[in-house]
Amino acid sequence: MQCREVRDLFDSYLAQELLTETNHEILRHLSGCPTCRADLAERRALREALQRAFARARDLEPRSEFSAELGVKLRDIVQAPLRRGLYSHWLALAATVVVGVGLAATLWWAHQFMRDRDLAAAAVGDHRNCALHFTLAEKPISLADAAQRYDAAYRILEELPPREILTPSGTARVLERHSCVYAGRRFAHVVLQYHEKVVSLLVTSGEDGASTSVPLDAALHGDVRRIDDMSVLSFRSARHSIFLTGDVDRAELSSLAEVLTGPLTRRLSSSQTHSSPPTFATAYPRLTTAMPNDSQDGMAFTFPGPFWRKSSTALRTKCSKSL
Amino acid sequence: MRMTRKGAPVDDHAWAAFEAEALPHADQLFRVAMWFERNRQEAEDLVQDTMTQALQSFHRFQRGTNCRAWLMTILQHIRSNRRRSRFRSPLIEDPDDRIAETIPFVPPLPERLTDEDILGALGRIPPHLQEVIVMCDVEELSYKEIARTLAIPIGTVMSRLHRGRALLRQQLRPAADRRPKEIRGPHAMP
Repeated sequence: MQCREVRDLFDSYLAQELLTETNHEILRHLSGCPTCRADLAERRALREALQRAFARARDLEPRSEFSAELGVKLRDIVQAPLRRGLYSHWLALAATVVVGVGLAATLWWAHQFMRDRDLAAAAVGDHRNCALHFTLAEKPISLADAAQRYDAAYRILEELPPREILTPSGTARVLERHSCVYAGRRFAHVVLQYHEKVVSLLVTSGEDGASTSVPLDAALHGDVRRIDDMSVLSFRSARHSIFLTGDVDRAELSSLAEVLTGPLTRRLSSSQTHSSPPTFATAYPRLTTAMPNDSQDGMAFTFPGPFWRKSSTALRTKCSKSL
Repeated sequence: MRMTRKGAPVDDHAWAAFEAEALPHADQLFRVAMWFERNRQEAEDLVQDTMTQALQSFHRFQRGTNCRAWLMTILQHIRSNRRRSRFRSPLIEDPDDRIAETIPFVPPLPERLTDEDILGALGRIPPHLQEVIVMCDVEELSYKEIARTLAIPIGTVMSRLHRGRALLRQQLRPAADRRPKEIRGPHAMP
């Protein structure tokens, strides 16, 4: 190996990057070549001088507390995700609770909506089958009787609404007051003549498992809907759902409702006396023999059994007379 | 089990291993960072970022290999990323060949040199040659480790090292010539 070849390998030799065999060849050359030995010594000295200079240079020294601070920062970085994990657990729990509550509220409101819709449908059915077609399977009973047996608040309907109701769009007159059952639900039923049409005011207790202390769904409340070709408007007192329904214009029905709702809901809400709470089973009426006497009309209806059809005819006659 | 920001798991055992194996190199890393950055705050940030990334990737470190080389690779990677974002200019061609032509003669090393002489001379040669010299001679990284750290071929490492040392010796001559023989610095070479 020549001097030039050896010197070309010195850097790699110092860096210990050469094969053992090459190292031996260099060592063999160095043993007989003082010039190359001196060159290698110089390179090694420079390398060592660089290392010393780097290690001793004050400009390059870190602050005495640098390592400690770095350790603390790194530990913080390690622990931060743990804290964040805890926070995220709490956040996840809170989010779950919020979602759960939201879901429960949605389900509850959906249940309420369905219930109100079913109630409105029952009210329309009662109106059609009781006030218009007189085809109820169960015979109506007097409001007094219903108040005594099912819901004391029904007695309020004996007086409210008054015989004549003045509305911005015309006068409504009471034709009939009784309590009847449709689709298993008992109503206090006031039949009205309004704009030459028969309109029903139906009040039913909300105590069959559903809360009545909650306002009716906004979509229903104050909003006239059409069910089975009938306009329906529903509102609610503390313990009762109230429906106005008939084949009348929406605006006319709203006009009537504006006059009726205030006094009726106030009276129903303030009515605390309540007879034995009706259950679904007990809501079914016993057959009764009398309809309420409408003293102001001077009319008295008695419906013992077969008279139900008779009374219906009378009601229809009365309605057509007043029309 | 703890998770770092990037999601790599760091349990107590891993943290203890990192603390024992990697953290002691922080001071030496700082020296290198300080040499290249010439700014204390930037050097501290660079080392902190390096150690943070190292901690996050510590599960990838092969035990028994050169931890300092591994840390240096991360440091260089962060440096090059910073440089790239700071100076969005196209890289010029490797100037090694041009430099090689400008080194007609490598003078012998002066006998008495101070640390300041050596570091001053090192600071005057091109940065990419400084990098290789610092990594090879100061950090004692292997050619392979330097190549991986700087993302260059081993042949380029060798040529840069050769040229860098030659330039360094050239730079050291005037420093020795300026100093009277009788004056010796506090850290003069033996």
